[in-house]
Amino acid sequence: MNAVGFAWRSLVRQPARATLGVLGVAAVGALLFDMLLLSQGLVVSMRDLLERSGWDIRVTAGELPGRGLRLGNAVSTAERIAALPSVRAALIVRLADARIEPGTGTPIVAAFQGVSGFSSAGAPITPPWTIIRGREASGAREVVIDGAIASAAKLQIGGTITLRASCVGDREALPPAQLHVVGIAEFPFAGTSEDAMGGSLEALKAACAGNVGDEADLLLVTSVKDANETAAAIRAALPDLRAMTNDEVVGRLQETGFSYFRQISTVLTTVTVAFAVLLITVLLTVSVNQRLGEIAALRALGFSRRRVIADVMSESALIVGSGGVLSLPLGLLLSSGLDRILKGMPGIPAELHFFVFDQRALAIHVGLLVATAVIAALYPMRIVSSLPIAATLRDEVIG
Amino acid sequence: MSVRTLLLALLILAAAPAIDAQGQPPDILISRQLATSEGLAVGSVVRLGTDAAGTGAREFRVAGIYEPTPDPSRLGAVPREVRLHLPDLLDLTRSPGTPAGTEYIAGINVALTNPADARAFSRDVNARMPGVVARPSSEAAGSAGPFRVLERFHLAIAVVTIVASTVFLLALTIMLVDERRETVGILRLIGLPVRRVLVQVLLEGLIVAGAGAAFGLVLAVLSEGLINAFFQWRYDTALVFVRITRDVALTSTAIAVPLGASATVVASWALLRRSGLRLARR
Repeated sequence: MNAVGFAWRSLVRQPARATLGVLGVAAVGALLFDMLLLSQGLVVSMRDLLERSGWDIRVTAGELPGRGLRLGNAVSTAERIAALPSVRAALIVRLADARIEPGTGTPIVAAFQGVSGFSSAGAPITPPWTIIRGREASGAREVVIDGAIASAAKLQIGGTITLRASCVGDREALPPAQLHVVGIAEFPFAGTSEDAMGGSLEALKAACAGNVGDEADLLLVTSVKDANETAAAIRAALPDLRAMTNDEVVGRLQETGFSYFRQISTVLTTVTVAFAVLLITVLLTVSVNQRLGEIAALRALGFSRRRVIADVMSESALIVGSGGVLSLPLGLLLSSGLDRILKGMPGIPAELHFFVFDQRALAIHVGLLVATAVIAALYPMRIVSSLPIAATLRDEVIG
Repeated sequence: MSVRTLLLALLILAAAPAIDAQGQPPDILISRQLATSEGLAVGSVVRLGTDAAGTGAREFRVAGIYEPTPDPSRLGAVPREVRLHLPDLLDLTRSPGTPAGTEYIAGINVALTNPADARAFSRDVNARMPGVVARPSSEAAGSAGPFRVLERFHLAIAVVTIVASTVFLLALTIMLVDERRETVGILRLIGLPVRRVLVQVLLEGLIVAGAGAAFGLVLAVLSEGLINAFFQWRYDTALVFVRITRDVALTSTAIAVPLGASATVVASWALLRRSGLRLARR
């Protein structure tokens, strides 16, 4: 019988302790796996979200899109950017708070995204939302809304929406505007508790009774080839503005908002691994101490020192391996719950996830578990390797 | 009255030596981080403008350097801030078409004589002044504030950790109890009833769990300073990340001690149901 088979029988002989050991590793492993998913989850998710939008570069007046100043002379700025040889298209994005007045019930507060595009050689321009049903809004009287607004206000495609938008300040008292709903859309950058709607810049102007001004919160740009070169060209042409590629936006967020989760993930990963090593070491050590007589007898029967060490190592590998396999589904289940909790944070886009599965995290998880199995087995392996056969047998028999 | 505002639009254009008291520019306060990054000191004179070109920039004198109030929602962002007297700020930022006195302000902080009246005062203001929203500071973050969400996240992590610890604890106690099978068998053979042995096991469990909880608390208190020092250094903030309060210590002890003692009793129970002879045999 080989070492693994022998270790398996040792574990089966003590089913309660073996099961509890495996379950303990599974629980700790699930937490470890989740912390590894958390360490890069936001970055992976944000990068995916930015790349899916189809826009390479974000041009703003402030530090981060949507968090700084509005840029002035939006139309001429967008035209200048679109005229650059390395730019395929540019899109003005203007945000406003809208108060939708359903026929009955309380008003719905939504974020209104007004967009206007400029492209070279007729390149297609896609708005920062995805149409699910209906068609794209065009002109000054059409909008698309998200599913939440549609159900809350009982609106359907072809219906009319009455809203008051405030483009400049909260204390505007503008007349209500009526716009036609032509589609239901998903807004990937809208927060989990935020309703969103979109339309052309003209539609936004109509909603704000023309009180918009030539300003933009953000300019989205698609480059012909390399995004970095295009961003550099924009910065050279418009030195007052910030042009950031998707990688730079992710890098900036990594340094600021996402940093906390990376740090907490590192701390918890370290604590979890230390906890697992300590507990498995104790489990194996106690188990070996209880079987000293048995191990000495095996040595006396001809089992080599290397063989008994291999038995202990195999036992550790079986406990950690079984627990590790169980930890993957458990971890994924737990991560969905933790993700739901963290997405309760204000301003987090609904499609952004804190825990994202990636192969690198899985590889690190497996590596850490292997290291745990080896390190945890070191001390018990030392005990069995230095076991005095005759003395142990005498102690066990006489004692 | 001075007001704290986010001066993202304001840019420090130049630093110049302090000038005489005669014709001295208005005073401002700057954050410690801004002072460090720009090499400013009390008495420095700076020019502030609302755009990068320095349009309409005016001179101000740094009257003091302050430590910004820690703000978890801006964690990671170095707070380079300036505090101006409200009239100075409005003069600087007012657009040419805006008559003085018609500007917006983002909010008014009110300090009450009796802080316990905050809720009643808010209700009163909301009723008397339509269009103005008053909220007690304690409710300003709302149920979905970053603090509350992080609290729920950490609670969930704590629950998973407790579950994992409990499972390991059970495994360990089963092994330890098994190791003492002969001792328990002899105690039973000399006449000690099951209940007596169980009480002894429970007391042992309580002592071990109590010692473990105390050790855990000492470890937590020692690591508290280290964790805070690391994160405060990492984020250049005075925010306190870990605080072992009396409630936290009591809650941890209230969970750990009964859990440890119960695990010992549960693990012993199966053993104690066997006869003394069976336990004591070699």
